[in-house]
Amino acid sequence: MKYFVTVNGLVREVEVVERLGSLDVRVDGKPFDLSYTEVDVLGQVVVLHGGKSYALSLEGGENDITATLVGHRYDVSLEDERERAAHAAERASGKAGGVLNAIMPGVVVELLASKGQQVAKGTPLLILSAMKMQNEIGAPADGVIQEIHVSAGQAVVAGAKLMTLAPIETT
Amino acid sequence: MFQRILIANRGEIALRVIRTAREMGIETVAIYSDWDQRALHTRMAHIAVPLGGTTPRDTYLRVDKVLAAAKATGAEAIHPGYGFLSENAAFARSVRDAGLTWIGPPAEAIEAMGDKIRARRRMRDADVPVVPGLVDPVDDPAAVKKAAAELGYPVMIKASAGGGGKGLRICRDPSQIESAFRTASGEALSSFGDGRVYLEKYLEEPRHIEVQVLFDAHGTGVHYGVRECSIQRRHQKLIEECPSVVIDAKTREAMGEVALRAGRAVGYQNAGTVEFLWSKGQFYFLEMNTRLQVEHPVTEMVTGTDLVREQLRIASGEKLGYGQDAVRWNGWSIEVRINAEDPKQKFMPSTGTIQNLRMPGGPFVRLDLGMYRGMEVGVDYDPMLGKLIVWGPTRDIAIDRMRRALQEINVGGVRTSLPAALTVIEDPRFRAGHFDTHFLESLDLASGARDHVDLVAAAAAVYRHHKARRRALTTDSSDRSGWLARGRDDVSTHSARSMRGGNPS
Repeated sequence: MKYFVTVNGLVREVEVVERLGSLDVRVDGKPFDLSYTEVDVLGQVVVLHGGKSYALSLEGGENDITATLVGHRYDVSLEDERERAAHAAERASGKAGGVLNAIMPGVVVELLASKGQQVAKGTPLLILSAMKMQNEIGAPADGVIQEIHVSAGQAVVAGAKLMTLAPIETT
Repeated sequence: MFQRILIANRGEIALRVIRTAREMGIETVAIYSDWDQRALHTRMAHIAVPLGGTTPRDTYLRVDKVLAAAKATGAEAIHPGYGFLSENAAFARSVRDAGLTWIGPPAEAIEAMGDKIRARRRMRDADVPVVPGLVDPVDDPAAVKKAAAELGYPVMIKASAGGGGKGLRICRDPSQIESAFRTASGEALSSFGDGRVYLEKYLEEPRHIEVQVLFDAHGTGVHYGVRECSIQRRHQKLIEECPSVVIDAKTREAMGEVALRAGRAVGYQNAGTVEFLWSKGQFYFLEMNTRLQVEHPVTEMVTGTDLVREQLRIASGEKLGYGQDAVRWNGWSIEVRINAEDPKQKFMPSTGTIQNLRMPGGPFVRLDLGMYRGMEVGVDYDPMLGKLIVWGPTRDIAIDRMRRALQEINVGGVRTSLPAALTVIEDPRFRAGHFDTHFLESLDLASGARDHVDLVAAAAAVYRHHKARRRALTTDSSDRSGWLARGRDDVSTHSARSMRGGNPS
């Protein structure tokens, strides 16, 4: 699995492949020797690399991780390829004036918002099932739902229009 | 000596007092809010009294509840710690009126030092140096020029009704006075309707240096030397040292003498701290803190004196029993405050549940902590979770030791000020002693470390890989909900539902 990892603002591409029970790690395409042992469930990790030992602390979910190493803090955000595409599409759709497009082929599982509803950026609008995952699609920006182009159960192709958001009118 | 005392505080300072009291065979009474039911001070005291209520206003700041707890438990004296009611003269008085002993200075001394402007006038009368300047405001540039010539440049023109940086101008020579006066006075006139200005000597490269004093009730006073507290932001100290690189033995004695004079001028008793601004070899009275201070441990480490023990002895009426000659300074001590704040976000308070604690140990490392695993850090209380203190025979060794301890410690679940402290400790200017009160705010704390980016990136990816595998193997859906909540930056609702049938492989 390939991950796009941002560490204190610097981006690295990390590939993690499981081979015969051991992990093969590459950073920006280059092999990276790494022995990784979790000490406890709280986030203490022993990492061996390049003949050196590092007492690392890792906390967080799967996309936002805080690492502490020799007293310094590293803020890590992590995306796999699918998430990266999704986020890029979300950002792009935000710029495209509030049209929400399907980021990948899939099936609309459920609509979470209705026409005319005012939504804030990030409000879940619908659930799209794709790549074995159910993905919650959030509003790309604040707005009012002007048009819903799909219905529950409908299959969509990548890039299909899902909803159109109009800017909130100030009176 | 007392049989039983009540500690009207919480957190690390309540523990600090409990520990000394235990060593002296004195029983302790803790008070606690609903929030602090599981807190360390609640657990470690002999007796714990619930105050009922959650916020400080409903609990630790309630004079009636605190006094009732003391009465109900038969405590003879009250130690206020710092913060909360510690500098509340009315509380000190009601403790006394209730027939209890106040472990602190007389209410009159608290009052005398409490009004900062009046205190400075009083200090001036007692021959304690204050920042030189005009006593009364003036309203014409000629008068400003004349006074500036007497004070010596640079000077600061301050609007008499100023505040928030409005009407503040620095002048380095007489040619700047005219226009500075016009703009400062003009700004003040339009903002506050009062165009008069004060003139004060502008202190360059100011450092915050303070003197620890102790007075018994029998007329004896000693000083315990200086602490350097210049690593601060908006008057919130982050790192403190004892002693200071800029204070030699002669200056220490001079400052100590002045601090004792300041205390005597208000009839001080018990432990107190006289704060000075120091600039280019000169020092000026700032204010007196009429209580035990957060950073008192660095003085304890260097002098070998338990200051809380001295407080209890003094309050119980004992004589100090020694003079200035008995106070000795040995080596160097540094303290780092562990605050639940995010240094990358301008030290914004950070909340959460303390997890993943790893404490430093080894030689000459002292931890005064109020935090514990599982502790909820909210916004109602002070963000200080504890203090890390080290001692070394020299400043260099103390710095090396603090660096080592900061590399060992880990506080998870909230953001803390620790990485910021490490950044300071590792800065060559700090080691060289070249810093002032502006130093911390001049540092770039937002971008973070860059030393081990590849390693962290690789480890984080493996961490996620394992997490995803574990998740794939588990059927517990409650465990899954967090995944999607994290997976969508801006979305926090509907996460459980949207995970139906999900499989993150």
